[in-house]
Amino acid sequence: MAGMGNRVLAGTDRALDLLRELPRLSLSNIRSNPKAFKRNKRGRGQHGGKKHGAGNKGSGQRQNFMRLGYETGNNPFYLRVPKEPYYKGHHLRREYPPISLMQLQTLIDTGRLDTSKPIDLSALCNTKLFQLSPLENQYGFQLTDEGLDNFKGRVNIEVQYASEQVISAIERNGGVITTAFYDAPSLIAMRDPMKFFASGNPIPKRQMPPENAVEYYTDPKNRGYLADPDLIALERFKLAQKYGYELPDLKKDPELLPMMLERKDPRQIFFGLNPGWLVNLKDKKIFEPEDEQLLEYFRS
Amino acid sequence: MYFTNLKVKIGNLTFLFVTHITNGTGPKLSATRAYLSGFKSNLSLEKLYPTSRLDITTIPKAPESKDGKFSGYIPMDKIQVNYVRSGGPGGQNVNCVSTKTEIRFHLASADWIPEPIRVKLAERVKNQISKEGYFIIKSERTRSQQLNLADTLDKLRNLIHSVAQSLVVPEVSQETLEKQRRLRERAARERLREKRAHSMTKQGRQSPTLDS
Repeated sequence: MAGMGNRVLAGTDRALDLLRELPRLSLSNIRSNPKAFKRNKRGRGQHGGKKHGAGNKGSGQRQNFMRLGYETGNNPFYLRVPKEPYYKGHHLRREYPPISLMQLQTLIDTGRLDTSKPIDLSALCNTKLFQLSPLENQYGFQLTDEGLDNFKGRVNIEVQYASEQVISAIERNGGVITTAFYDAPSLIAMRDPMKFFASGNPIPKRQMPPENAVEYYTDPKNRGYLADPDLIALERFKLAQKYGYELPDLKKDPELLPMMLERKDPRQIFFGLNPGWLVNLKDKKIFEPEDEQLLEYFRS
Repeated sequence: MYFTNLKVKIGNLTFLFVTHITNGTGPKLSATRAYLSGFKSNLSLEKLYPTSRLDITTIPKAPESKDGKFSGYIPMDKIQVNYVRSGGPGGQNVNCVSTKTEIRFHLASADWIPEPIRVKLAERVKNQISKEGYFIIKSERTRSQQLNLADTLDKLRNLIHSVAQSLVVPEVSQETLEKQRRLRERAARERLREKRAHSMTKQGRQSPTLDS
């Protein structure tokens, strides 16, 4: 500045002068500090350029590798250590948590189960004494033979597995037992029906059993739900002969007969409710699909 | 059943609004059909087994034991079943629980076993028949009464079956008898031939005698 005499211009003054002349800062006139960003020094070849990740000289760069698992002569790990396939396919194995006949008798005696209605998975879960987690590969309940000799209940029960002596115990007392398959979404609906109805989803249709279970559920010996009822009648007679009891005539009790004969359709989940129906408990209404395609889907 | 026809759209799906109201007396009960079963899909038992009567209540007629052959049917009303305490160790459980199963029936008057089998059976098991003529079978094989009962019946059936088998004389054809006779004679000839050859060998080992 002229009026200041012969004073030497300080650095700040010079800087400020410069700033007055220089153009405005923008992306086009700034530069990052050196070594702030690493430049990509890639070679341009198909597999990453220059040495292609193969290093320098040696068997590595010359691609002359030994076979996978080879440990330069000593017994390799994959041969040394034996296979122990304890859990092979465990995620595919279905589980059936047990309910003993003794427990069943106790439930009937204490009034937790109503024998005047058919007992199915929903009825057993509604007692809140048994938990079922379909997401952990549990596909229903199996009836075990503990308490076989003292079982006296007359029931129409549907489980997922029962052995021969259990079937005989149920039938010798004038009951009916059926083994049925339910897929995971159906199980989730069945184990807590109130929660399912509150969710506002239509009742799904039950899927068919997987291939390795079809034989079991179509066998009259297992009282499968897909087996021929005439053959089941024959098997009832044969089992009575094997286990030494007179097969009770179900027709002798005409009041209980309709309840004893009650069975679900293979696509049905709840007694008296069709797949595709939407149940509204709050307003006590049921919604049915009207669309022909939907009806065909739920019926097929 | 009373229902109204009100269409309700939920999302992309049209639902028919149907009020299901039942009367106070409940659903009509039929004597032979189940009372709640209304829904029939394409996979219902009627479609899977169109020729079947679909009746699990039928009790088939018991097979008869005729022509001296046992049919396998044991009438349970003619057999007395008894449960007693088993032997052996087991503490309180074995002392209190009756798991040994015993079945008995009067063998001589058991019409359900054919006569020839009955006679032979009486001879075979004479040590298990009481003074009054009751044949007794026991089992304490398992821990369950019912399974032991099944075991006793299994034993009984196997006994009757084996007795029946021993009574059966197989009919052999003339050709087979001829063949068996020829084979026996050939075996005898062969045996004698070998015997003679062996004899020559042994004689050959003797020192020669000075006979001219």
